[in-house]
Amino acid sequence: MASLSIDLISMVNRFRVWALTFRGSITLFCLLGLLLVPLTGNEYLTTIIITSMILAIFAASWDLLAGFAGQVSFGHSAFFGIAGYVTAAFVRFLGHHWVIALLAGAGMAVVFSLLIGIPCLRLKGPYLALGTLAFSLVLYRLFLTGTWLGGTEGISGLPRAENPYLVFYAIAGFMVVSLVAMRAIADSRLGTVMKAIRDDELCADASGINTTVYKLLAFMISGFFAGIAGAIFVLDTTAVNPAIYQPLYSFYAIIMASIGGIATIYGSIIGAFLFIILSEVLRPLAAAALLIFAALLILIIRFAEEGVMNPVLEKVQELYDKIRGR
Amino acid sequence: MIVEILIFGTVQGALLALLSLGFSLVYGVGGLLNLAHGAFFLITAYVIHWMIIFFGFGFWIAAIISLAVVVGVSAVTYLGLMKPLQDSHIGIVLVTFALAFFFEQLVRFYSSQTYYIVPPVPGTINFFGVNFPAQLLALMIGSAILVTLVTLFISKSKIGKTIRAVSQDMEAAKLVGINTDMVLMTSVMISALLVGFAAVLYAPGNFIAPRIGWGYLLLAFAVTIFGGMGSIPGSILGAFIMGYASSFTDYVISPSLSPIIPLVVILVMLLLRPQGLLGKKELL
Repeated sequence: MASLSIDLISMVNRFRVWALTFRGSITLFCLLGLLLVPLTGNEYLTTIIITSMILAIFAASWDLLAGFAGQVSFGHSAFFGIAGYVTAAFVRFLGHHWVIALLAGAGMAVVFSLLIGIPCLRLKGPYLALGTLAFSLVLYRLFLTGTWLGGTEGISGLPRAENPYLVFYAIAGFMVVSLVAMRAIADSRLGTVMKAIRDDELCADASGINTTVYKLLAFMISGFFAGIAGAIFVLDTTAVNPAIYQPLYSFYAIIMASIGGIATIYGSIIGAFLFIILSEVLRPLAAAALLIFAALLILIIRFAEEGVMNPVLEKVQELYDKIRGR
Repeated sequence: MIVEILIFGTVQGALLALLSLGFSLVYGVGGLLNLAHGAFFLITAYVIHWMIIFFGFGFWIAAIISLAVVVGVSAVTYLGLMKPLQDSHIGIVLVTFALAFFFEQLVRFYSSQTYYIVPPVPGTINFFGVNFPAQLLALMIGSAILVTLVTLFISKSKIGKTIRAVSQDMEAAKLVGINTDMVLMTSVMISALLVGFAAVLYAPGNFIAPRIGWGYLLLAFAVTIFGGMGSIPGSILGAFIMGYASSFTDYVISPSLSPIIPLVVILVMLLLRPQGLLGKKELL
């Protein structure tokens, strides 16, 4: 009991030190700003932010698999979609509570990550990417041509939560917890092993790491968080159709993660918010919107190889230090 | 039935060979996974369409202009986007994906509906009791000529030799004085030319829409994996096997299943023989 309280005190102290650092204060400031969003009463803004938060989880799950374990997947929408479908089926057909449905969906995504991961482990680099892409496309076609779970129409008419504030804060909580958990995994011993596999698989194998187990573990963790994102996405939009398996969603995740910065996890938040807000800001331009958006996307990818988050933060910190006269 | 399967399988195979040869070449030479490959098909088809509609050109002049445009676009793509990001494979994938998305939106901005280009080769041909449009015959002949020419170019000409040298070992090629950037640009341009010809020969007589690029990209992908990434004979062989398989599925099993067959083939192939039919076994 005593040790527990000491742990707690040391954790609080560490948190205080972290909160006073540059990054810590910026993070807390942004988080505070995020929590104030629903209080503005602007429904449109709230909807956009909710979408961004869900996709931030999804992008971060891709980042964990690709950025840390080095297993580049083009078929992440498979996990996203299967969790969405299972969640929708649990709520709509079996009448379960949404929490149970969400867990069932994420669990199904883990099962699928094993189903996809085990055969795809033999593949490397672009082959792995294409193998996972093919898996997600097969799922897409199967759900499109099949008659189960609503066929082409999908499942719609999920119950909507009455309290919009509750929805927003629940999703914000999910995002924060998922991202902190993913970052903790990436910084833990498991994360170190994953980085070793990414940097040199042969070497990792030679130093006694069971690469197969760790790669599968990376697939499962990533699939779990992608599944959570998919389940929340479906619960939020109250409908799901086979389009959720489209490779477009996988590419959204990849683009968001790389805009923010690959192998940073938190960068995914920046990437997702930038991506969604940019596409919404450009919407009034109608037909030209997506054109400008695509052009901006090319420029960001071309000129910001490390992503946006870390370089910008470093620049701002330099400026801040200069102002304080250090 | 058998004649039909053979004819339409050959047509499919001819199209797939044109689509996948360049894709496979670019991957084999520089390890560049070009997701804008389908977009090259799209812009060729639409440039032809715009030339005919807005400027009143004849089909063949429009075709020549569109081929020039697509080859130019591919050269600019290589110099502006692929070369600076060459070191990171994921960077290439992302930037070419964004480029393909950009072209889709560009086309949608000017002509968002579905259009039909009138085939330049009119009439139908009767072959052992099967009628098919003469345009498809042009596709088969054109594809055969082009594929032969490109294969000969790569195996016999001096530039072809440098291409093969770069694909075997880029560092060593640099050491003996080959301008690898030039070689990579040439191979990207050849690939754009091939996919442009596929559009010239196959788009007329079919409907074109802004989203068609992705479908052709997927086909090129499928054949390239099947035949072996970077193997030119592999992608030609793979194209025809895939062509006959899909027309067989169309006629014998069910047309609704035929889009899923290539995907299943890819998956089985990736799991059993990841390097493809004739691909090189990659070292660890």
